[in-house]
Order: sequence, then C-alpha cells, then structure tokens
Amino acid sequence: MRYYEILYIVNPNFERKKIDDTMNEIDIRLKETKSKIINHIIWGKKRLAYTMQGHKYGTYVLLHYESGDKKKLDEFDSWLKLSNLVIRHMIVRLDNEPDVLESVGGELPEKRKEVLETDKDKKSEIDNNKKLKE
Amino acid sequence: MAFQTRRKYCFFKENNIYKVDYKDIRLLKKFVNDHGKIMPRRVTGTSAKMHRKVVSAIKRARTIGLMPFVSNGSE
Repeated sequence: MRYYEILYIVNPNFERKKIDDTMNEIDIRLKETKSKIINHIIWGKKRLAYTMQGHKYGTYVLLHYESGDKKKLDEFDSWLKLSNLVIRHMIVRLDNEPDVLESVGGELPEKRKEVLETDKDKKSEIDNNKKLKE
Repeated sequence: MAFQTRRKYCFFKENNIYKVDYKDIRLLKKFVNDHGKIMPRRVTGTSAKMHRKVVSAIKRARTIGLMPFVSNGSE
C-alpha cells in the first residue's frame, strides 16, 4: 500500500482542546477507510502567505498514513473539503515510508543548516569582491 | 578586470541534496525572486532534473499557503 501525507490548516483561534477534537474526528474518519495512521502532529501556528477565508494566520497539522480503501479515501477527501473543520488541506503521495515523528520542529537537521550557512558565506564573499572592485 | 566570472553550479549537486520537500520554505525561497516568481534555470544554474522538483515543490507550497503566489516584496 502507498503512503500519503496530509497537511491541513485549522482555524488559528481554536484552543488546544478544540484542535485535539478536530484531530480526533479526522482520526476516526480516516480509520473508517481502513488506513493506518503513522503520524498526526501539530506543526504550529504560522503566518499564511496570503489570506484564506479572512484568516491571516493558521495552525498547521501534519498527518502521515498508509492508504486503505481507495473509494472510501476519495469520500474522506471530499468530506474534508466540505467540512468546516479545516480551512484548507492538501494530500501528497510519498515515495517512501515516513519516519515516526515526535514533533515537526521549525529547526532543520544539522547537516542542512551547515549547507545553508556556508552558502551565505559564499554570497558575502562575492559581495565583498564586488565592493572591492568598485 | 571589469568582469567577474561567476561560475554557474547546481545548488543541489553541490550540497548532495536529492529530495525537495515543499515544507522546506527556507530552501525554496532561494529559487523565487522578490515578487514570488520562480526564477528560471538559466539564472539559478540548477540542473533540469532538480529544477522540475523545485518547481513542483514551490507550487505545492503555494496551494497550502506557505509561499505567496504574488508578493510586493515587503514582508
């Protein structure tokens, strides 16, 4: 079976308890499709790049699952779209089995950080060279 | 010398990155300009294979509101 990822946005004004209720309801609906949930965690409140339904901020929730019944999953998708629980959601197919996550940190893994920092150094070097030449 | 030769290189090949995740906004921001437009391959120097992945990742990030479709550059 294939692995999928859903990222959805919940109303930012929801309290923690209400977010948990939403997550529970989505859990129940997804379990009806015989899917296996791997991760279901809150990513955090973020500023949206553009307003959606009048919201400037949104709470992002990440969900990984192994697919079950295809027809029921289609129904689940349209249910999620029609329900007022989430502002927006997106389902993406994954190539590999996802790892079990404890949290989605804003921080990047250490290796990646180094890469980005060295790139910055290169840029500043180029800028310095330009200044010198001027 | 009036001209400085800038070597074009594929960012991903240089850093041994093979996967592009649409949630990784910090990486994807390198490949859009101030207006939020995707920069062409001739500017970024990315390989064709990775550029396709970057493009689809940026488009995904846009639909879920992580990146702007258009922006005036002030943020």
